[in-house]
Amino acid sequence: MPTAAIDPPGVQWLRVSPKYVTVRLVEWAIGNLVLLVILSLPLLFVLLGWWRWPPLWLAITVPAVMLGLALWRLVLIPRQVRAIGYAERDDDLLIRRGIFFQRTMVVPYGRMQYVDVAVGPVERSLGLCTLKLHTASAGTHAHLPGLPAEEGARLREQLSARGEARLAGL
Amino acid sequence: MSPGGSVAVGLRDETVDGDWRRVHPASPFVRGWVALAAVGYFFGRDAFERVLQGREFVDPTLNSRAPWLLAGGAVLLLLTVGGFILSWYFTRFQVAEGYVRVNTGFLFKQQRQARLDRVQAIDIVQPLLARIFGLAELKFEVADAGESAVRLAYLPVDQAKQLRATILARAAGVVSGPEAAGEEMPEAPEHVVLSVPPGRLIGSLLLSEQTVGILLGAAAVVGVSVLMDNQAIFLALIPAVLGIGAAYWSSFNKGYNFTAAISPDGIRLRYGLLDTQAQTLPPGRIQALMVAQPPIWRIFGWYRMHVNVAGYGAAGTEGAGRTMLLPVGLKADVMRMMSLVLPDPGVDDPGKVFTAGLTGLARGARSAVPSEDGFVVTPRRARLLAPLGWRRNGFFATRTALLIRSGRWWRTLVVVPHQRTQSMALHQGPLARRFRVADLVLHTTAGPVSPRVFQAGVEQAVALFDHQAARAREARKRQTSEQWLAQVAPQAPEVAAAVKSQPQSSPSLQQQEDRQDG
Repeated sequence: MPTAAIDPPGVQWLRVSPKYVTVRLVEWAIGNLVLLVILSLPLLFVLLGWWRWPPLWLAITVPAVMLGLALWRLVLIPRQVRAIGYAERDDDLLIRRGIFFQRTMVVPYGRMQYVDVAVGPVERSLGLCTLKLHTASAGTHAHLPGLPAEEGARLREQLSARGEARLAGL
Repeated sequence: MSPGGSVAVGLRDETVDGDWRRVHPASPFVRGWVALAAVGYFFGRDAFERVLQGREFVDPTLNSRAPWLLAGGAVLLLLTVGGFILSWYFTRFQVAEGYVRVNTGFLFKQQRQARLDRVQAIDIVQPLLARIFGLAELKFEVADAGESAVRLAYLPVDQAKQLRATILARAAGVVSGPEAAGEEMPEAPEHVVLSVPPGRLIGSLLLSEQTVGILLGAAAVVGVSVLMDNQAIFLALIPAVLGIGAAYWSSFNKGYNFTAAISPDGIRLRYGLLDTQAQTLPPGRIQALMVAQPPIWRIFGWYRMHVNVAGYGAAGTEGAGRTMLLPVGLKADVMRMMSLVLPDPGVDDPGKVFTAGLTGLARGARSAVPSEDGFVVTPRRARLLAPLGWRRNGFFATRTALLIRSGRWWRTLVVVPHQRTQSMALHQGPLARRFRVADLVLHTTAGPVSPRVFQAGVEQAVALFDHQAARAREARKRQTSEQWLAQVAPQAPEVAAAVKSQPQSSPSLQQQEDRQDG
């Protein structure tokens, strides 16, 4: 993965676990399949002759477009997961994500109010967890998904310790 | 905020004895006048409707119903008044040992305590009815979303002011320890810095964006009614007109007689026609600041200022109305407020830099980096992304704050002190990548100001991103509130003199601030 243009120079990114792709696939399947089934219902009803409206072309187009978008998102998932990265520096944590819409974020350790580790059912079966950092700003929204459980625990302890050392008020 | 937390809600037993006080006995009635009014309305409406319909004022069948009505009314009144008395009796508060504690509730008890040294802002609010009775409400904010941490409603005005002075003095570390518990602090002297004349306020309201929208809407309605040859549409506008009138009224009521003053406690803002408010912002509590100028205001050179303060909360919440630092003011007023909020601008020629931030426009021909007024603007290659704003969108980092300007027509200047930067993010979409630019978003506490550097060149944005973290770290170590007062002192000699007469305040202030920011 080449370093993108907006990353600060000289940063070695740590990548999240490749197993996180599975979590994203499950999320993708649940979200998109339900939507696709709902959007396909008119087509079914039209084909069965229960409904006169919408016309057949419309009933086909809507789910087809949705299917196309869903498949596009499916193709992107592995690349998106590979694009997630983090780096611990002396005084702050860097988090990056995104391919088309890239976002690189820096959270100073002294600004962290608290650190969460969250585990969902799919993540648990794969031994992964999600790290969430909270500052006094709601805009921070620093999530770091797909960490191996022991790495998540290590990071949490590390960040808490460093935050304690550099604790600042508002 | 420390992990110790500033607001603990629990049912711990009263840990500290003594000096529990109650609010003013009349306060439930002042607060609950709506309930009493509702009872009155309920009974009055019936009679009123009959009068409108041309029948006699008193219901002819009243005689048979009178006992029931009277009994019902009496029970309702008794319940309301009884509830008021109980709620008054069970509301008690105490300021001791670095905490303010409030106990409320009769069936569901609540004990709340907030640390005094975590105070972000403190307000005295006087709604019209409370003002008639000479009462005031005290609001105490900690860094929390939206809701006030502690509200004491209502106290006699003098007592409220006294309590505010005590809380602020303790928060600043002037008085600490139990030996001074009973001692009352004198109110800090203040020096009025600026005020907004009513004429300018009315003018600013009439020329606001709101008015432009209304005129456009009215034109559309008239056009439609002419086209459709239908006059009934005007009737449908009556509620809209009432709503608009109410909006103007509330803006006027809120902004009337706006004055800003400095005192050792912080910046003090007073405003209001019928409902008056006095806000106190302790030094260094402002997280971000925005100066904005709608297009029409440019004719008169007016600006408005908003701030983000932790505890006031985001737009749409209870505290949102209090984020206004200046409803309307000339450039000189803006500069004066700026010098209070940011006493050390961190540049040699602050006037020139802030002027460039407010009105500056880089010259288009050469895309020098930075441009001649010091601001780093969008590179020329990205002018298609922001055809109007590319010469305006820019940033300037002084030693103490980051200045972000944007908007060719809706001019804004956002100032974020370095030590208040929470976290930052660089954003780049596909189009921005094509033009090699990126946006830098600074995260601050919830509020009306959301600092964002639009379309900076990639090299400059990354450099800023990298340097800003270091600057924020450095600035956090440097800033103390003692410096704050020393630097605004030339504008307010008597305030500075008052502080000098309390020599014990300085070291503890320093200590306090070290604990906060170090």
